[in-house]
Amino acid sequence: MNQEQIVSENKTQENSILEVSHLEKSFGTHSVLKDISFRVHPGDVVSVIGASGSGKSTMLRCINLLEVPDGGSILYHGEDITARKMDVPAYRARVGMVFQSFNLFSNMTVLENCMVGQIKVAKKSKEEAKEKALRFLDKVGMSAYVNAKPRQLSGGQKQRVAIARALAMEPEILLFDEPTSALDPQMVGEVLEVMTALAKEGLTMIVVTHEMAFARDISSHVLFMADGVICEEGTPKQIFEQPKEEATKEFLARFRNML
Amino acid sequence: MISNMSFIERIFYILQKYGTSYLKGAGTTLVIALVSTFIGCIIGFLSGIIQTIPVDKKRDPLIKRVLLGIVNVILRIYIEVFRGTPMIVQAVFIYYGLAQVCNVQLGMWQAAFLVVSINTGAYMAESVRGGIISVDPGQMEGAKAIGMTHVQAMVNVILPQAFRNILPQIGNNLIINIKDTSVLSVISVVDLFFVHKSVSGALYTYFESATIVMAIYLTMTLITSRLLRLWEKKMDGGDNYELVDVMDIGSQLGKKESR
Repeated sequence: MNQEQIVSENKTQENSILEVSHLEKSFGTHSVLKDISFRVHPGDVVSVIGASGSGKSTMLRCINLLEVPDGGSILYHGEDITARKMDVPAYRARVGMVFQSFNLFSNMTVLENCMVGQIKVAKKSKEEAKEKALRFLDKVGMSAYVNAKPRQLSGGQKQRVAIARALAMEPEILLFDEPTSALDPQMVGEVLEVMTALAKEGLTMIVVTHEMAFARDISSHVLFMADGVICEEGTPKQIFEQPKEEATKEFLARFRNML
Repeated sequence: MISNMSFIERIFYILQKYGTSYLKGAGTTLVIALVSTFIGCIIGFLSGIIQTIPVDKKRDPLIKRVLLGIVNVILRIYIEVFRGTPMIVQAVFIYYGLAQVCNVQLGMWQAAFLVVSINTGAYMAESVRGGIISVDPGQMEGAKAIGMTHVQAMVNVILPQAFRNILPQIGNNLIINIKDTSVLSVISVVDLFFVHKSVSGALYTYFESATIVMAIYLTMTLITSRLLRLWEKKMDGGDNYELVDVMDIGSQLGKKESR
C-alpha cells in the first residue's frame, strides 16, 4: 500500500484535526482575513500559496494563537481553541511551528534548543529529552552541531535545527511559516529536502510557501489565498493544471518558467 | 610638624596615621555598593518583569488586570520619584523621615543599604524593562510555539538574554554606587568619604587626603570594571565550537535502542 492510499483511508476513518471556519482577523481598520474556512485531516500536507499580503502568514499565526482571531472559530479535535477555558500552552505543545526567521533560542546550544521544551513543557527526563533531541537532529542532518550556538550556524542549518526542535515535541501537526523565504537559494534545497521527507512519513503539515514546486509535488491539498480569502482550493493537480479562478491563473503564470 | 612637611611627606604621614581608617572606609564603601547593587538588581528585575507581563483583554480575568494596573502605577511612581531626585536628598528624607514619622531609628548599615538599594532599583527597573523589550520578539514566539507559558519563556529564554544585554548597565550602576555612596556621609555612614572628611578636618590637609581618596576610589572602580569585562566575556563563551563525531552519536543512539 503506498502512502497516498494510507492517507486517503485515514481521511475517511478519522475526523479532522483542525477545522477552521469563518475565520476573521483585522489589524485596526485593515481587514486581513475575511471568512476563511478549511479542514485539515491526519496526514494532510496543506500548502498555502498566494501573493505577499494575502493573509497567509496571519492565518497560520491565528491557528497557533500567536494572533488572536477576531471572528469565526478554530476547532482542534472539535474543541474551540479561542475559548476562554482552553489551555493554550498545552495546545501549542501539540501544534508545532517553524518560523521564517527560525527563532532559535540564542542563549542556548543546538542541543539545548531541542531539549528545553521537552524538559520544561513535556516534563521529560533529561536523558529522554537528550536522546530524542539527538534522534531528530540526526534526522535533519544537524547532529554534528549539538554544541554550536545558533549565531554560529548558517540560515539553512538554523532552520533545520528549528524543525528538529519542533519535531522533538512530537506535534500532531506542524505549521511552517514561509520556512525558506529568509534563505539563500542554495540553502533552500536542504530545508525542502527535510520537509519532503517529513511529508512522505505522513506528518500532518500546513505550509505557507512561495516554493511552487514543493506545493505542486509534495502537498496533498493546496489553498490559494488572495486578499484575505481562500480564492481557490483543491488538489495540486487541480490548482496547478486546471485552475478555475482568474486570480489563480494570473498568480501561477508568474511562476510558469520555474515549474 | 605637619605644616613644615612637603606634599609627599604629608601623604605618607596621613597614611601612617590613618591608613587603616581609609581602608576600613573603603571596605564599607565597597560592601554598601556591592550589596545595594545586588538588592537593586533584584528590585529592578522584579519591577521589569511585572511591567512586561502581557495583558489579554479577552482571556484574563478583570481582577488580574486591575491588580496589575495598580501595581504598574505604583512602580511608575516609585521609578519617577527615585530617578528624579538626588540620592543625597533621598538619604536625608528616608533617614530622618523614618525617625520622625515612624519612630524608626536606622543603624548605619540599614540606612545605607536601604537608600542605595531603592535608588539603584529605580534605575535598574528601567534598564531591565529595556533589556526585556530589546530581546527579539521572535524569541518569545519561538518559546510559546513549543508550548511554554509566559513564565517559562521568561525564565528560560528571555531573562537570560535580557540579563546579558544589561550586564554592562549593571556594571555601570555598581561603579556609580561605589562613588555615590560618598553622599551617605550626610547621614553619618562611615564610608571612605566620611573618613576623608574626618581626617582633613582634623589635620587641615584637604588636598593630600583628597589625593589619597581619589586614588582609592579609582583603584576600586578600575578593578571592578576589569572584573565585569571578564564576566561578560565568560558569558559570551568562545567563538568556536566542536563538531561532534556523527558516528559517535549514532552508536550512542544504537546503545539506547538496544537497552
